Amino acid sequence: MVGDQKSSVRAGTLVRPIETRYALSGEVRIAYQVVGQGSFDLVFVPGFISNLDLHWEDEGYTRLLRRLCAFSRLILFDKRGTGLSDRVDVRHLPSLETRMDDVRAVMDAAGSGRAAILGASEGAPLAMLFAATYPERTRALALYGGYAHFHKWVMPPERLEAFITTAETAWGTGATLPSFAPGRVDDAHFAQWWGRFERLSASPTAAAVLARMNAGIDVRGILPAISAPTLLVHRRNDVRVDPEASRFLARKIHGARLVEIPGRDHPIWTGDVDRVADLIEEFLTGQPAVADPERVLAALLVTHTSDTAKLGDRMWSERSQRFQETWRLLVGRHGGRIAGTHGELMISRFEGPARAIRCAAALRDAAQQIGIASAQGVHVGEIELRGAPVGLTARVTMQLATHAGRGDILASRLVADLAAGSGLHFVDAGRISLDELGEPLPVVQATSEQHLEPACRPKSKPSEPASLTARESEVVSLIADGKSNAAIAAELRLSEHTVKRHVANILLKLDLPSRAAAAAFSARHAGPDGP
Amino acid sequence: MLTKTQNVDGPAIKKAIEGRDGKMLSSFYADDALVRVIDRNNPPSKPREIRGRAAIGTFWDDICSRAMTHKVDTTIADGDNLAFTQACAYPDGTKVFCAAMLELKNGRIARQTVVQAWDE
Repeated sequence: MVGDQKSSVRAGTLVRPIETRYALSGEVRIAYQVVGQGSFDLVFVPGFISNLDLHWEDEGYTRLLRRLCAFSRLILFDKRGTGLSDRVDVRHLPSLETRMDDVRAVMDAAGSGRAAILGASEGAPLAMLFAATYPERTRALALYGGYAHFHKWVMPPERLEAFITTAETAWGTGATLPSFAPGRVDDAHFAQWWGRFERLSASPTAAAVLARMNAGIDVRGILPAISAPTLLVHRRNDVRVDPEASRFLARKIHGARLVEIPGRDHPIWTGDVDRVADLIEEFLTGQPAVADPERVLAALLVTHTSDTAKLGDRMWSERSQRFQETWRLLVGRHGGRIAGTHGELMISRFEGPARAIRCAAALRDAAQQIGIASAQGVHVGEIELRGAPVGLTARVTMQLATHAGRGDILASRLVADLAAGSGLHFVDAGRISLDELGEPLPVVQATSEQHLEPACRPKSKPSEPASLTARESEVVSLIADGKSNAAIAAELRLSEHTVKRHVANILLKLDLPSRAAAAAFSARHAGPDGP
Repeated sequence: MLTKTQNVDGPAIKKAIEGRDGKMLSSFYADDALVRVIDRNNPPSKPREIRGRAAIGTFWDDICSRAMTHKVDTTIADGDNLAFTQACAYPDGTKVFCAAMLELKNGRIARQTVVQAWDE
């Protein structure tokens, strides 16, 4: 899992280590962190499990915490038995009251006289209990995806047993992810992080015991005692906690305001984190969040795939899904970030154009191997950091991808200029007129020579078609017909891997840079029986 | 109101801040005063702004609710301008340092800019 950490660091999410301190609650040490220096304190009570250090390795979590600490002094902690806090004897579990008292202990240690309390998921009943017990120390209450009674709104006893069995038998593998964030299951990087999150937040036994303990939560009786101004936020299709739970809270907590927002992933740090942060900020500061003008210069890569081989729905859908998984993996491997999808357009963002082009080349190879057609566009410009890329840079890049031919990587000339010295090769591809630009945009095509022609390779003498084996000749002529590796494999009854080896050997023997060049070679040398 | 007779000057500000007297502090401001806070999370191009005496009152109430020590060190006065530095510490040892520049109008604070840094 070292790779995860590396990529997080590279992606800039781990900005700096935050100092972890420990508050003494009875005889148990509770780990806490304080970030930001806003005029009021905001205590974040996490859900089921947490790990203070690990949060900063996830982009969504970091985004949420950065937003919150911009207007508050944000106090974070791991509940006893989880994360960096002391472990507890699983035979003598702390009551909800004891865990609530940990909030007070952390506030005392951090010098917080009164604070706004943000309770997420299982943290919500705890936050409500705190607000009812210590009204003088509760400035306001913000509850996200909360509930007052576990069995009524989270899961009935029979489903709980199945969940606990999963937790006990597959803990640490990320097996609980579908129960919390089904929208992120296909995100291999996040799924891996989730596995680490499980392992580093609680042991398997503790997880099962915590789940059982949470199942006993019923704070319905204390709701009328809450006097703090209260905001309730719930995602309309939350898979973990029924939105009805927050509607009930809205009826029972005096003056509470409920905002239902779109989305189904449950953890507060997944989905549209900014929407949640906006609501909390406006509620706690009394002022709408200032529109975040965070714009950065970035290289955007838009990858467009299509079913040119008329594969049929089922095969296309399988291959397309396989390609999407590969796309996520390769974008991460090249230091990029997934920026979203737009129909059949997959958008990723990179810090530099060379990385985007290298990733595009890897994606082109992957598409070829999987047996689908790809066309890609790369452009550089300012983009909004928030949300999916929708600005001019994104629109231009999307249009480049739709203009690109099959297997091509079409980039603005600016990309080539900025990538000078990177060892990448581009050929001029003229200018194209785009709807929103006053003048035609000069464009280039990225070629993948650098993969196949190391600078030090001695110049071989011009090759003759005779140097190809009979099988290689067959493969060349099929390449010339525009067929993918998968199609060639099917026709010659070979595995795709074997075809790939043949193609690589052919390019080496003929000293050619690409499949396209091999096709051209084949056309030049075609005799009555082919090359 | 007693506070109406309180002059806004270095010693009064020092006494109110060090005594964590939120009510006294908010009485120092003009009705339409503006406090701007610049720090790591609120950069100069997007400072946090607190407008009006009511919001500023809440601001000081929040700060004064913290169990922390404040020490106002250097106060400089020049006509309607006042500047001071403030060193603060939380019970767990975390330190905060602020420098504040104030503009007075009719004896009340009309505009204040705070630049702060802290241990994290």
